[in-house]
Amino acid sequence: MEQKKISGAEALLFSLNAEGVDTLFGYPGGTIIPLYDALYVHADRMRHILTRHEQGAIHAAQGFARASGRTGVCIATSGPGATNLLTGIADAMIDSTPVVCITAQVPVNALGTDFFQEADIISMTSPVTKWNYQVTSAAEIAPAISRAFFLAGTGRPGPVVIDITKNALVEMLDGFEYEKCKELRCYNDHPVIDTDALERAVELLNGAERPLIIFGQGIKLSGAEKQLRELSERGNIPMASTVLGLSAVPSEHPNFVGMVGMHGNVAPNRMTQQADVILAVGMRFSDRVTGKIGEYAKQARLIHVDIDASELGRIITPEIAILGDAAEALAAMKRTIEARDRSAWFGVAAEQFALEQREVISKDLRPTKERVTMGEVIDGVARATGGDAIIVTDVGQHQMEAARYSRFARTRSLITSGGLGTMGYGLPAAIGAKIAMPNRQVVLFCGDGGLQMTIQELGTVLEWKVGVKIVLLNNSFLGMVRQWQQLFFERRYSSTPMTNPDFQKIADAYEIHHRLVEKREDLAAAIGEMLATPGAYFVEVKVDEEDCVFPMIPGGAALSDIMFNESL
Amino acid sequence: MENREYIISAFTENHPGILFRVASVFLRRKINIESFKVSDSPVRGISLFTIVAVVDEAMARVLVQQINRIVGVLKSSYYTADGLLSQEVALFKVRKAILRGDTFEQISRKHPLRLLQMNGEYLVLRKSGYKEEIDALRDELKERGLLMELSRSGSIILHRETVEKSMDGIL
Ligand SMILES: Cc1ncc(C[n+]2csc(CCOP(=O)(O)OP(=O)(O)O)c2C)c(N)n1
Ligand SMILES: [Mg+2]
Repeated sequence: MEQKKISGAEALLFSLNAEGVDTLFGYPGGTIIPLYDALYVHADRMRHILTRHEQGAIHAAQGFARASGRTGVCIATSGPGATNLLTGIADAMIDSTPVVCITAQVPVNALGTDFFQEADIISMTSPVTKWNYQVTSAAEIAPAISRAFFLAGTGRPGPVVIDITKNALVEMLDGFEYEKCKELRCYNDHPVIDTDALERAVELLNGAERPLIIFGQGIKLSGAEKQLRELSERGNIPMASTVLGLSAVPSEHPNFVGMVGMHGNVAPNRMTQQADVILAVGMRFSDRVTGKIGEYAKQARLIHVDIDASELGRIITPEIAILGDAAEALAAMKRTIEARDRSAWFGVAAEQFALEQREVISKDLRPTKERVTMGEVIDGVARATGGDAIIVTDVGQHQMEAARYSRFARTRSLITSGGLGTMGYGLPAAIGAKIAMPNRQVVLFCGDGGLQMTIQELGTVLEWKVGVKIVLLNNSFLGMVRQWQQLFFERRYSSTPMTNPDFQKIADAYEIHHRLVEKREDLAAAIGEMLATPGAYFVEVKVDEEDCVFPMIPGGAALSDIMFNESL
Repeated sequence: MENREYIISAFTENHPGILFRVASVFLRRKINIESFKVSDSPVRGISLFTIVAVVDEAMARVLVQQINRIVGVLKSSYYTADGLLSQEVALFKVRKAILRGDTFEQISRKHPLRLLQMNGEYLVLRKSGYKEEIDALRDELKERGLLMELSRSGSIILHRETVEKSMDGIL
C-alpha cells in the first residue's frame, strides 16, 4: 500500500500497472489532460503510443491483444475522442477481442448539460461492449479497472469501456490499494462442463464415418491449440478452420483441410455438406460460414462447444451442446476418442483440393497473364517467411486472398477484422501487433481503399519506428465491392474505381523505405528486401484490376453452390 | 412456430445501465415490448425485471440467452402466462353516470372490483386479476361510454419456486 496522497489519474495509472499493462494507445484532449499529466510525471511506468486518430488507437489495441493474448488498452478524451473509438469497440465485440477503453468524461456535475465535448458514451457503447461503467469519483477507479480487466479477458473476451468523469481524475485519494477481481456473482467466466454431454459427444465421434472438426477463434482464445491437434490426431479426424481460427493449427498439418466459408476452400465446404458428425468448437456459425442456413450440413449430427451460452442454439440447434472452455472440453474428449481408418473420407479432401488446385489455385499462383495477382504476392511472402510471420490484413479482396494463401506455422498469426469487416483496421492493428511482438515479423496486406481509411497511422509508424512491413495490393478499385458489381450487377462499377495518390510519395513523406512493383520479375526481390531491411517497409504491388476472389459461394447460396470463375 | 405472449423475467444486480442493455436486446431485433417492469425482489440488492413481448418460442429462448449474457444479470427465464402466477392491478377512472340505475351493480357483480374513491365528477375503481379480466372490464366500461382513464401495472409475477431456490448456486 502506497501511503502518499495521489490523484485519481495516478490511481488509474497504478491500477493499469497492477494489471500488468505497460503500453497504452491513445490520443489526448482537454478532459483527459489529468491522465496525460500523470503519464508525463510517471513516464517510467507506462509507454503511451500516440496514434494519429482514436480509431487507430483502438485498432492498435486490438492488434496488440490478438497478437499477444494480453488485454489491449486504449485511452481517449471525452466527446469526439470517445465516439471515434466506436467502430473499434464494435469490431472487438463481434470478434471477441479483449480490450479496455478508457474514456474521459465531463465533470459529474455537468453530466447531461451538453457540456463542451460531452457525449453519452455509456449509452452509445452499451450494445457493443461486454461491460461498461461510468466512474464518477476517484475511489471507484481501482475497483472499476480491476473489474474491467477481469471481464475483458475471461470467458468469451470482449471490449470494456470505463468512462471517467474529470473530477474523478483530479480528486485526491489517501494512498492506493488494488485488489484484482477474481469473480462476480452475476457473471460466470468458467462454466463447469457437463461430462455426460462430453461422453455422448465422443461416442458420436467414435461412431462417425465422416466426422469433421470445424474450429474458430475460440481455440486461440482458450489456448486450446494443442488439445485440438491431439484430438484430431488421436481420432484421425479432419479439421477445418473459420477465417478467425486460422493459424491455430499449422497450415501444413496433415489433418488440416483448410478454411470454410464464402471464399473458403472447396474441400472443407464440401465436407461440411457430407459429414455425418460435425464437432464445432469456438465458432459461431456466421452467415459467411454457413451460407444458406436451411441447406447447411444437413447430413450431420452436430456437437457445438462454446464458452458463451448464448451462442449455443442461436443459429443452429446442436444435438449436443457443450458449454465451457474449449481446451478443457477437447482435453477431456481426447481421453476416450478412438482412431478409425478414414482414408476414404480424407480421400474426399484430397480430391476436392486437387479440384481447387486445378480450377483456382494454379490460376492465382501461376498465372499466364501479364499482370501480377494478389495470390502471387501473398504466396511469395508465405514462402519467404516460411509461414512464421504474423499476417495482418485490411478488408476486401486482399483479405480473403491473404487468408487463402498465407501459410501459418504458429498460432495467433492472422489478425483480421472478421465479423465487422472494418476497412481501415489493418494498418493500426499491424502497428499494435508489432508493438506487442517486436521480435516477430509482422506483414500487413492492405488494399488501396482501406489503407486510405487510416493512412494517417503512417505517422505512428514514423514516430515510434514501428517495424511493420506494409504490402499494398493496389488494384485501383474498391475491389471486393467491384467484384460483386462485376458478378451480380452486370459490371456497373458504381463508385468503386479509385483515383489514387502516389503512394510511393506518401511512404517517402513518412520516411518509410518503399518500393513499387509492377512486373512479376521484380516481386521476389522486393519481398526479400522488405523482409531483410530492418524497420518499416512499404511495398506497393500493382495487381490486376479486375481479378475476382474465387472460389465464391454467393451470399445466401448453399455451401454446395460454389463458383469457380465468372461464368459458373 | 407461433407467436404468442411470453413473459420474460430476469433477476439482476440493482445497478444503473442494466435496464438499457436489457431493452437493447429487444430493440436490436425490432421486437415491441408490451410491458416492462422493474421492481424489488425478496433479496436485497437484486431487482426483478418482468417483460412481456409477443414472439415465438425460438425467439423467446434467444432473448433469454441474450439477457443472460449481460454482465449484471443473474438469471433470466421465459414463461407463458400459464407457466407462472401472473396478475395485474388496474385503476379505472369512470364517469359518475355509472351510478344511474343499476349499472354499477351489474358491472361490479360481473367484474369483482373495489370502489376506492368518489367525488362530484368521477369514481375510482380498482381491479386486480388476470390480464384478460382487466381487459374485459376495460372493454365493458368503454362500450358503455363510462371510461375516463385507465392505469395498469403490467404483469406482476410470482415464480413457482422461491427466488433463493431459483437462484441456487448463484447467490
Ligand atoms: C468501413 C467500411 N466501409 C465500407 C466497407 C465495404 N467494403 C468492403 S470491401 C470494400 C472494398 C475494399 O477495397 P480495397 O481496400 O481497395 O481492397 P480490395 O478489395 O481492392 O482488395 C468495401 C468498400 C467496409 N467493409 N468497411
Ligand atoms: Mg483495392
